[in-house]
Amino acid sequence: MLKVENVKKAFGAATVLDGVNLTVSPGEVVSILGSSGSGKSTLIRCINGLEKLNGGRIAIDDFDVAKPKELAEARKRSATVFQLFNLYPHMTTLQNIALAPVEVLKRPRAEVEQEARALLASVGLSDKVDAYPAHLSGGQRQRVGICRALAMKPRYLLLDEVTSALDPEMTAEVLAILAKLAREGTTMLFVTHEVEFARQISNRIVFLDKGVLLVDLPTEEFFAASGGLAQPRIAQFLSKMKKD
Amino acid sequence: MQFDLTILGPYLGFLGQGAVLTAVICLLSLAGAVVLGMLVAIARTSQTAWIRRLAFIYVDVFRNIPFIVQLFFFYYGLPEIGIYIDAITTGVIALSIAGGAYASDAIRSGILAIDNGILEAAEVSGLSKRITFTRIVLPIALRTSVRPLGSVLINMILTSSILSTITVNELTGQAKIVASDTFRPFEVYAVLLVVYAALTWLVSIGISHLHKHLNRDLASEAA
Repeated sequence: MLKVENVKKAFGAATVLDGVNLTVSPGEVVSILGSSGSGKSTLIRCINGLEKLNGGRIAIDDFDVAKPKELAEARKRSATVFQLFNLYPHMTTLQNIALAPVEVLKRPRAEVEQEARALLASVGLSDKVDAYPAHLSGGQRQRVGICRALAMKPRYLLLDEVTSALDPEMTAEVLAILAKLAREGTTMLFVTHEVEFARQISNRIVFLDKGVLLVDLPTEEFFAASGGLAQPRIAQFLSKMKKD
Repeated sequence: MQFDLTILGPYLGFLGQGAVLTAVICLLSLAGAVVLGMLVAIARTSQTAWIRRLAFIYVDVFRNIPFIVQLFFFYYGLPEIGIYIDAITTGVIALSIAGGAYASDAIRSGILAIDNGILEAAEVSGLSKRITFTRIVLPIALRTSVRPLGSVLINMILTSSILSTITVNELTGQAKIVASDTFRPFEVYAVLLVVYAALTWLVSIGISHLHKHLNRDLASEAA
């Protein structure tokens, strides 16, 4: 289980997360919605240990990410897909995917590469095994980013606005992969602006506003007039997203 | 005075030996400078303050002292405290140390230019600092540092002519001997001008090709 307990994070005088609580159980897909600057990406960065907490606790399968020795174990159980892909530019797609499983999980290279090829085939990139990131489109790069994360066989997949840098066509490519992963039962914590997609694939929706978790509701309830929509801030956000 | 290059005919082999020695010294020094530059660049990006300061002092000192003074200190100064090193080795060491200060700047710039997101991706995937450095940081930094390192090599070729002052008969040293043998310094040094210019021009073309080759996969074609 992924547990976020009363997490506080500030950058200087600016409070970005203020007492956030969240639990993600295996098999769940939880989407985090909120306007820009609401703390969504910071929350993901706190969960994967890129940001130090100012208060509270985050544990992945009981491994506390604030403790260096436990962080390594926590990171073996989670994987992050980034907004700007962050692929290693000097490595082929196969090398990008195989590096961490070989070096971190100490798995045999041949076995890892075989799985990496299968992963690439599953996202329609079997012909790009030896391609370098610079020779791929944005959508293809993000699909490789997803494969790189999945190659670690994570229990929790953290997705940080993975379609924000893509055009609508490429966004559709990536969302199709994520929908497939959701159907297969992959546990995901999904920061997104794709409200309709979040509605389709999520078990729960969390809404952050100015660092405060306003609601954490089952998806249907979130979009119900008596549920999340009863909150003026959420109604305003969803209405604005519809217009955009 | 009549400009007559034919008088250099008998000395071409002799000058060639000097050119070969220049090339050997420069290649050895470049290897030394790159290794030293890499270590210093790591030290300059270290999280430990005293390591950063030590590296900064090294770079600052060796970039601000004339090379000939460094060379004389190593060759004429060190024997006073019982350290004797032959002239060629002294030349290679001095060029490596001086070149290392400049190489560290080139490599450090390459390291600092790496997109932070790439390092974060490595970090969250659990890669150790050692693996991140050797498999990700260094290969990218060296690729982007090829041109500035090429400038260090060119500077090294030019500076190597100073080694003739400590009895190293590299290209300039041999030329001095030919000039005193023939009493035709005009022709000898005119040829030397052309040879050094051609040498550095060829090296810069080579560096340009190497840069293109190493960075061929980093250039964006799609996206």
